[in-house]
Amino acid sequence: MSITRINIGPIHPSTHGVCRLVVDVDGDTIVKVEPHIGFLHRGVEKLVENRMYMQCPPYMEKLDYVAPMSMDDLYVGAVEAALGVEVKERAKYVRVILLELQRLASHLFLIGSVGNDLGLMFTMFMWAFKDRDLILKLLEEATGQRMFYVNMRLGGLVNTLPKDFEEHTIDTLEGLEKRLKKYQAFLEKNPIFIERMKGVGVLKKEDAIDLGVTGPVLRASGVRYDVRKNNPYYVYRELNFSEKVLYDGDNLARFRVRILEMYESMRLIRAAFEKMPEGDEKGMPIRLITPKAKNRIVVVNREVPRGEGLIYMVADPEKAYRLSIRAPSFINLAALEHITKGARIADLFAIFGSLDLVMADVDR
Amino acid sequence: MKIERNKFADSIFEMHEKGFTYLVKITAVDYQKYLEMVYIFRNLESIEENTLEIDLDPSDLWMPSITNYYKAADWYERELQEMFGVEIKGRNAKRLLLEKWDGKGFPLRKNFEWNKQYETME
Amino acid sequence: MLIGSLEGIMGNGLSSHNPLVMLLFVVIYAVGVLIIMSAFAYVFGWIERKIIAKIQLRHGPNQVGKYGILQNLADIVKLISKEKAVPSNADRSLFILAPQLMLSLMVFLILLVPIFPSLQVANFGLSMLAIFVLLGFSPLILFVIAFSSGNKFADLSAQRSVLMLMSYEIPMIITVASVFLVSNSYNIQSIVAMQSKTWFAIMLPIGFIVFFIAMLAELERPPFDLMEADSELIAGWLTDVSAPYYAIALFIDYTRMFLGGLLISILFLGGWNGPILPPTVWLIVKAFVIAIFIIIIRASTVRMRIDRVLRLGWVWLIPLALINLVMAYVLFG
Repeated sequence: MSITRINIGPIHPSTHGVCRLVVDVDGDTIVKVEPHIGFLHRGVEKLVENRMYMQCPPYMEKLDYVAPMSMDDLYVGAVEAALGVEVKERAKYVRVILLELQRLASHLFLIGSVGNDLGLMFTMFMWAFKDRDLILKLLEEATGQRMFYVNMRLGGLVNTLPKDFEEHTIDTLEGLEKRLKKYQAFLEKNPIFIERMKGVGVLKKEDAIDLGVTGPVLRASGVRYDVRKNNPYYVYRELNFSEKVLYDGDNLARFRVRILEMYESMRLIRAAFEKMPEGDEKGMPIRLITPKAKNRIVVVNREVPRGEGLIYMVADPEKAYRLSIRAPSFINLAALEHITKGARIADLFAIFGSLDLVMADVDR
Repeated sequence: MKIERNKFADSIFEMHEKGFTYLVKITAVDYQKYLEMVYIFRNLESIEENTLEIDLDPSDLWMPSITNYYKAADWYERELQEMFGVEIKGRNAKRLLLEKWDGKGFPLRKNFEWNKQYETME
Repeated sequence: MLIGSLEGIMGNGLSSHNPLVMLLFVVIYAVGVLIIMSAFAYVFGWIERKIIAKIQLRHGPNQVGKYGILQNLADIVKLISKEKAVPSNADRSLFILAPQLMLSLMVFLILLVPIFPSLQVANFGLSMLAIFVLLGFSPLILFVIAFSSGNKFADLSAQRSVLMLMSYEIPMIITVASVFLVSNSYNIQSIVAMQSKTWFAIMLPIGFIVFFIAMLAELERPPFDLMEADSELIAGWLTDVSAPYYAIALFIDYTRMFLGGLLISILFLGGWNGPILPPTVWLIVKAFVIAIFIIIIRASTVRMRIDRVLRLGWVWLIPLALINLVMAYVLFG
């Protein structure tokens, strides 16, 4: 059969953003996928070079609009390291709680879109989004914003947690845990779902390391690496975090790793509430920041929902001289070409979706 | 770890042999007098990180490609070519990573001229 | 043939020997049936949207008319009033003609299926066979639309439709043959009459299941909606179909689902047989139950892949259909 070249995107419901894929297909089998990116390029790395440190978190949040707080935390973490600011003890716990809530919201997004990518109308999507909304409501309670929180300050947070936040969170998590089991059963008890996910888009361990994929994609291929475990920040060590690893490296493993991570996140949140000390979690007001960078070169990494986020920063006293972001979506998308080789066109978006990409994060 | 460019190929080989098989990031910093390339590698067994830094003269900007050892380097190298104007030698794919751009210069270099409109906004 | 059948139905009192008067009768009656069937298909489209909305925790259409009942009408009016866009590299005449051909095919099918059992537009010996001949024709028109639009997605969709045809058409025909074998007739009236005591679904359970699955595929309903798989093929054969042609496609989609429900209930669920209620009501209730079941399947399962559909067809459906045929012959033949 002859090779047909088809163009998918840049505006397409399944690309989770604006990404253009040029796909060569032989009948129904993919010969080559070439992602064209850059439609959302805003030059964040350059913008940051021209602004004061604490002017930048809003830019960072827009990198990953599915999990804005994680990116915010990554950036603020880098600035804290550069300026030598110690995070308050209680703030560490609060940050862990908020970040894990954010991770839950982000993974729910994936669970919803998995159904979409496989052609399950919008059922799973709507169900997952309803739960995601409950979590966003919690985050709104804690930060005052529903999506772009800008809640991190050096050494702590902008807002203190409201009084009944703990109660609300525990309630929500209880409901979510039950429904999550239901969702997983709804999808996985369907033999067609398993057929479509198992053994599709296999990424072997060696290839995963060679291609440099991160986060759940890497862990689904059997690599035991999670920043929260191997380079623990905040209080993950005190909370006995354990990373979730599966060994199949296919779509199903990538899906299941995320579900396991969600249960782990819920456990972490509950444990953090228990161990949280009394005190103050407010960070430094912006005007009190003394512009004095202690460390010239800072490398900070955090486990954001999409994988390992890393910032390489050369710090000037008032602003970053150079800020380079390792965007997890960027490197996961780079692996798409390898994973989809020989797959069927029907599976292209199942694989694409399982990488859990956010295009704003890819293009920066 | 600062090294010279002519020793770079050997260091990469050595790094890969030592188990630093996971490429974390390739980036560059424009210090105006020179341009520093930064390669961060990780050993996933022992969870160690290693950084290679290479200083490049702005009049002689090129680096050998490391895609033979690290497939992950592919997109990073393309990005650097576009953002810093560092020519990466020994690559097959020539296509730009981001979409075409009409302006001049390389955006992340310090001598990049900002658009006048943005200047007034500052 | 048509006139003859009408004479038989209407009895001697109404029959006239003037063929023109009879033709007028037939036309008026056909138009009436068409309108009623379209109305059912229309209600059906609304029910589908509402049920899926309920499953997905949404409200569904609720702005146009009471409970959004006029939403589909608004959609159709909008689509009809739009520009008839024909892609530049399409085969123009074929692209315009094919949807209309499909519509007329649908009209024939509607007229053949008796919605009012005692009043049938065309009641002749091979009426059931005729339905399946016409039904088997419709994927080919779909194929023509796909190729004439000159779109790559439509091309891929057309390739899939051929593979699909291979996997479900054969088991469907074999199962229908088993019904013919048991009822000893190709006529709808006598097939239903045979089921006045026991439904064929009880006599031929395997056949019923095979036929239901094959019918899902025939109707392009999930999990067999591979031809218009929106996640990878945009809309498959419908990608370049727009405005009135898309309205036709939408209409056909809903009508076909209703028709599928009718066929399943006629062939396997005793047709219009049932106590107390009038026969037409029974038939429509059965068709609706089947179609609602199809809708629930649509909202709750992911799409199959083409190689799996082929495997399902050849490894499961065809052997089961053959077993069913043998059983029908041995037990009731």
